[in-house]
Amino acid sequence: MDTLLNVAHGFGVALLPINLLYCFIGVFIGTLVGVLPGIGPISAMSLLLPVTLSGTPESGIIMMAGIYYGSMYGGSTTSILVNIPGEAASVVTCIDGHQMAKQGRAGPALGISAFGSFIAGTFALVALMLVAPSLASVAIAFGPAEYFSLMALGLVVLTFLTQGSMAKALLMACIGIVLGLIGLDSITAQPRLTFGRLELIDGIGLVPVVMGLFGVAEVLLNTEQVIKRDIINAKITQLLPSKADWKASAGPVARGTVLGFFLGILPGGGAVVASFASYALEKRLSKTPERFGHGAIEGVAGPESANNAAAGGAFIPLMTLGIPPNVVMALLLGAFVIHGLQPGPLLITQNPGLFWGIVASMYIGNLMLLVLNLPMIGMWVQLLKLPYNILFPLIILFTIIGVYCSSNNVFDVYIMIAFGVIGYFMRKLGYEPAPLVLAFVLGPMLENNLRKSLILSQGDLLTFVQRPISAACLALAAVLLVGPLLPSLRKKRELVALDEGA
Amino acid sequence: MSSDNNVKFRLNNSELWGGLIGLALGIFVIWSGLKLKLGTINDPGSGYVLFYTGILMCLFATSIIVAAITEGGASFGSRWQNVRWNRPLLLIACLTAFSFALDPLGFLLSTVPLMVLLLRVVDPVRWSLTIPIAVLAPLGMWWVLKRLLLIQLPSGIFEIG
Repeated sequence: MDTLLNVAHGFGVALLPINLLYCFIGVFIGTLVGVLPGIGPISAMSLLLPVTLSGTPESGIIMMAGIYYGSMYGGSTTSILVNIPGEAASVVTCIDGHQMAKQGRAGPALGISAFGSFIAGTFALVALMLVAPSLASVAIAFGPAEYFSLMALGLVVLTFLTQGSMAKALLMACIGIVLGLIGLDSITAQPRLTFGRLELIDGIGLVPVVMGLFGVAEVLLNTEQVIKRDIINAKITQLLPSKADWKASAGPVARGTVLGFFLGILPGGGAVVASFASYALEKRLSKTPERFGHGAIEGVAGPESANNAAAGGAFIPLMTLGIPPNVVMALLLGAFVIHGLQPGPLLITQNPGLFWGIVASMYIGNLMLLVLNLPMIGMWVQLLKLPYNILFPLIILFTIIGVYCSSNNVFDVYIMIAFGVIGYFMRKLGYEPAPLVLAFVLGPMLENNLRKSLILSQGDLLTFVQRPISAACLALAAVLLVGPLLPSLRKKRELVALDEGA
Repeated sequence: MSSDNNVKFRLNNSELWGGLIGLALGIFVIWSGLKLKLGTINDPGSGYVLFYTGILMCLFATSIIVAAITEGGASFGSRWQNVRWNRPLLLIACLTAFSFALDPLGFLLSTVPLMVLLLRVVDPVRWSLTIPIAVLAPLGMWWVLKRLLLIQLPSGIFEIG
């Protein structure tokens, strides 16, 4: 009964005209960046982070969340029609989605992708409503040791799932922690790694780091490639999947939804790993696995549902524990902090309007996305024809303006350009930026909780293993760290490794 | 002969240099941690986490270096093979020039030339599109930010914008 009252209260907040407008702007921009290859939800969210300052916390966070789940919908359009993933979570949709489009079945592929996403998104929200308050009440009992271990686990999971060498990913995570510690020490107020520069006293901003590593570096990488766009030009008709399509997709949608939701909750997991895992599961369960890769609708329905369910599930650790499980949620944490709010166990009780308003807005956003993605598909196809040599200077312009507006400081523009160049060379040498960014956000919290737990336990390191939750997290982290040394686990890791950690 | 080839290959090994940079950074972080005061385990100081993170960095970097020496790795040249490497280079040059120009010239006077360069030099767009995009996009953004959102962009020594 309480939940129903809370949901009603949430709808009261979400249905305010200003929040509806922000929700629409969020899902529209999300679909746009999902559709456009070369710009993802991370760049778009960091670009718009300063814009959230102009409204209420509800409006800003509703918009940011809309960009995230909106991009999950939009990404599939590009994958299916152009065979280029609009964003990382749609990589796997290219395999069967584009084959379906080539066989003249682009409509059902887009249709099942949108409906699957809608069903999964809705399920994830219901689960979020039910799970988050109970988890938040448990999380109140968490001490610094539990928080430290959970964050350490999150970083290890992300490095485990990052493509390529795990040592490189761990090195990136360490560099992220160091970058996060630049500025005044929160306990002793001693300046650290500031090199006498006043601009570094408050530390490096999240926006210039993210925009550099994901925005500018991505542009640098894209300009060296000849982007071939194999756009399906035939008119897209019959978006509604047939009865047979529904029959074939029902299982994959259901399984993808549940799997995606749980993988979304895991720290370090997220939409990308969920879509890959769902594809692998469907292929394994299929009686005709040879159809996969040649236009099997299950290969679209499962992963698309999984990535949307994961997008919903990822809100749970952020809202209940205050720990962002991936880079996108780290940006959302930034939006909370900008408004002076601290997500965590007390958020739901202290700011019920905010929490339930965001949840309710996601229902509304999912409905908006269904309308944006099905009847307006023609518009998105036209947008795909925009040449990249016109698009990238505009992306650079927006990143410069976005970074400058986040702090009104030219120094941040320099930081962004520097991180853009560093990010480009990092990617060329096989160092993924996702662990660095997540560690950059978690670094100060990790340090704080480590120091607090050591002070509270009077230097007794056993405090981390005497508390069951902390011990379980550290044990799992240890298994994942040692795991890649075992050939069988190394093989599995390579199968699920991510391109980007979003 | 074969040993000479191996030495040449190893020195041009991008994995090895990546690891060495990581190791140098790790040593710098350890040194910074020590300089800041480590404190004790009962009361960790400002450099405590930095110091141990630096040690971890050195460990991971060493493992990368060892793997690069024992297993080999891609050369720098191969990382840029079959790609148009001059374009990111041009883009980096444009952005570096822009970063020097932004403060003294201001937003409008530095962004319009940057857009012209990006549109014409990196991957050329025809002039009839370049000029309107290069002028209208920054001008439009400047107007929205300054007039609607009341955000002051850098105006430079000429105070334009």
